[in-house]
Amino acid sequence: MALPSLRHPAQRSLRKQCHQCISQMNSPRYASTAAAPIDELEQSSFQAPELPSDEANQFDPVGKAKGRRKQLPPSRYQFRPPKYYRGPLAPYQPPPSSDPSSREFVPGPFSLPRMGETYKSTIAQDMMTLSYSHVIPGTPQPAAGQRLRTWDGDSPYFANRPLRAPKGGHVLRPLHKRITFRNVPRLEKITVHSMSTEAGSGDSAYLHVTGMVIQAITNVRVKTHEARTTVQQWGLKKGKYSSVTAEMKGEDMYHFLSKCVDLVMPRIKDWKGVKGSSGDETGNISFGLDPDVVALFPEIEVNYDMYPPKMIPGCHVTVHTTANSDKEARLLLTAFGLPFYGKLIN
Amino acid sequence: MSSTLQTLTRRTSLPNCQFLHPNAHHQIRHATLIKRPKRPYTFTQLVTLTDGSTYLHRTTSPLPVYKSTKDARNSPMWNPSSQKLLNIEEDEAGKLRNFRKKFGRGWDAEAVEYDQREGDAEAQTGEESSSRNDHDDSLLDLISGYGKAPEKKAAKKEPKKKSGPVANASAPKSATGGDQKK
Repeated sequence: MALPSLRHPAQRSLRKQCHQCISQMNSPRYASTAAAPIDELEQSSFQAPELPSDEANQFDPVGKAKGRRKQLPPSRYQFRPPKYYRGPLAPYQPPPSSDPSSREFVPGPFSLPRMGETYKSTIAQDMMTLSYSHVIPGTPQPAAGQRLRTWDGDSPYFANRPLRAPKGGHVLRPLHKRITFRNVPRLEKITVHSMSTEAGSGDSAYLHVTGMVIQAITNVRVKTHEARTTVQQWGLKKGKYSSVTAEMKGEDMYHFLSKCVDLVMPRIKDWKGVKGSSGDETGNISFGLDPDVVALFPEIEVNYDMYPPKMIPGCHVTVHTTANSDKEARLLLTAFGLPFYGKLIN
Repeated sequence: MSSTLQTLTRRTSLPNCQFLHPNAHHQIRHATLIKRPKRPYTFTQLVTLTDGSTYLHRTTSPLPVYKSTKDARNSPMWNPSSQKLLNIEEDEAGKLRNFRKKFGRGWDAEAVEYDQREGDAEAQTGEESSSRNDHDDSLLDLISGYGKAPEKKAAKKEPKKKSGPVANASAPKSATGGDQKK
């Protein structure tokens, strides 16, 4: 440091401060004597010496690349995953599907859906507040009753019997937990399903068109399904391919729902909303779209002539949520903008 | 004897898939093909709603911009408290518009009121308003404060003229306000 060269009074005070700093480095420092030491400043590019101009002018990556006659060799080792899975003991194992080099890798997400952002920023908080029930800390939890009941009685045949089914039915419903910040209901996935009886009875053209339409609407490749049983009235034959499903998660799911709510549903004529009795009592709600409603989707509308007009299918849409009851699921979907009508059955 | 039988059976059971090309595409018992997932091509599309708000989404539609004419922003089901949307007339096929083009607006109640007010104004201000009236007939109802200034004058001069049943019902707020001030 060039401390002895400081002559002016202002510089002298600076020198004093510097001396203080140096003296403080040995002694313990207190908050009352807060003086920023110069040596402790972060290293930054402003302090670095300037590059000499000739060296900067020589730096020309574009010219260097153009002057190169041969192409650069590829990186030393390019991993190519196996095409076949040959069991867990094979030496050449395929990477997990999350690995970009895997054959099963699906890139994405490519966008930040508006509805997902709305959920994060407002709906989740609102849901938590609306379904909040206060419990004074320290209150003992009420003892939960038996879900599957034991056989009580003195019959010797009750020993080692499997437990009895719950009262009022044989289905074991999911337990309802209090909603906290950990389990706020959210969208899980959306399934779009469309069955064409004509395809089930032999005309496969309907199935092809249905697949194209559902794929265009949902952004997802569809799966085809065989009929499980023969139904004479519908002309279904067992083992014939008759229906198509598309399962959406994440980005596609939000895009599909916002498209439905914002663009398609307002254009349906004389539509009252989704039926209030819809739902499977465990938080999954479904509704149907008619063929003329499916034709209102912007993807179908943009080249409507591509599809044979009589073959455009209707579909069933099932919205799966993580809510445990239909009431909460309906609250969530209402927040997303889906209208319900009629008696709400929870 | 037994050894010869064994060799015979071995020869007959020799797998001939050994001589196939190694890159032949067929499913073998001990190897499962890892299929590449198929997904449709998606584009990024800008959606413009009717209130002017825009957002991007991914669709299979190749259109870069989608402009909606009817959506949740101007549908009464999503805006139950909006008075503006309740009074909107549904004319999606353009039938009412075509009718008006053919037979004029004389059949509409609003238009009748409007014409009467115009008539009052014309009686007072004379040629100016009539010259304005004949060329941009349909555009006038877009301007909210159009016929008000001459009407005020009319109200100040002759308030009795406003006493007709139709005119009374449709008297604009500015005119009544002027009366109260008097």
